[in-house]
Amino acid sequence: MRIQTCYFCSSKIYPGHGVEFVRNDCKIFKFCRGKCHKAFKRKKNPRKVAWTKAYRKAAGKELAVDPSFEFEKRRNVPVKYSRETWQKSIEAIKKITEIKERREKHFVMERLRKGRQVEIQMDVRDVQQNMSLIRSPAAGLKERRAKEDAEQAALMEEDLPEEEITYVDARELEKKLEEGLDIDDLEMLEA
Amino acid sequence: MGMVQKRKKMHYGDTHLQRRWRVRNRRRDLDQIDDDLRTRSGELINQNVDLEKPGFAQFYCVHCAKYFIDDTAMQAHFRTKVHKRRLKALETEPYSIEESERAAGRGSFQKPKKRVMETQPTKEEVIGGKRIKVTEVAENDSNAMEQDDQKPTTSVKANRKRKQKMDT
Repeated sequence: MRIQTCYFCSSKIYPGHGVEFVRNDCKIFKFCRGKCHKAFKRKKNPRKVAWTKAYRKAAGKELAVDPSFEFEKRRNVPVKYSRETWQKSIEAIKKITEIKERREKHFVMERLRKGRQVEIQMDVRDVQQNMSLIRSPAAGLKERRAKEDAEQAALMEEDLPEEEITYVDARELEKKLEEGLDIDDLEMLEA
Repeated sequence: MGMVQKRKKMHYGDTHLQRRWRVRNRRRDLDQIDDDLRTRSGELINQNVDLEKPGFAQFYCVHCAKYFIDDTAMQAHFRTKVHKRRLKALETEPYSIEESERAAGRGSFQKPKKRVMETQPTKEEVIGGKRIKVTEVAENDSNAMEQDDQKPTTSVKANRKRKQKMDT
């Protein structure tokens, strides 16, 4: 019994399943189901269809380069049957699949961990950029204004002592002006 | 009620597409075209007269696997979006059965190579001995560095190829 691989999605094809297409240059394309066959007929590129293995490996979603992938291969070299090698290879297959699965899981977890870090960075940047949503820039504005005013007033006092203002009755002033005196003269009089 | 009762068509369906995807209407696949480009571009551009084909098979675009009736039609085709899109598609190495096996876990993933694609030379040039060349583009330095980390064997190969290019 031989388990084939699908041309499009690289999944397993068990006997009695799927379709084969033989192109007029004798190349055989095997498909696991109608979905893959249809996609092939539509000339879709498996590298660009997100649900295929080819995409996942090309996009770095899964472990793609590893020595553990080099064991299972079509070698086209006949091997003479012996019970010992058979038993050994069965044992080896078990071990290798175990290692491979572990590495694949590890790769995915590492990838996700990196994603988490990126997420945290993005969150921090988001908070920094939109700080105004968390704490209004107008919060505490009144107190700050009052403080600033008080400070300025203090500075003013230090710099210039306030001018003394003398209050004059407006009617008297008018009368005096009518009598024919200038403002300068009035000032002189007061002095 | 004596009138003809006709069902109103609400959906036109995809029959026209299904017909296009039939096996008898299949065109050449990208990997076949890639093979043509590399091995037999000369004989495809400079074909013998075939009365069955459009333009007696004298005007053939190798990239699009298409016959044209005369030179003006072909030159117009070279300026179209369809042709340019095809050149772009052929810039990366086409998907193959081997790659599907590699993706299934039989062998490590190999990055598809990038090539330079140009519109084919004219017939006179082909008779003069010019052929379509498919030269591979060297990866960017940063990518090359990454590859060095991951798999040193391929980088050695790439270096060898670069050297060959330099020699030629």
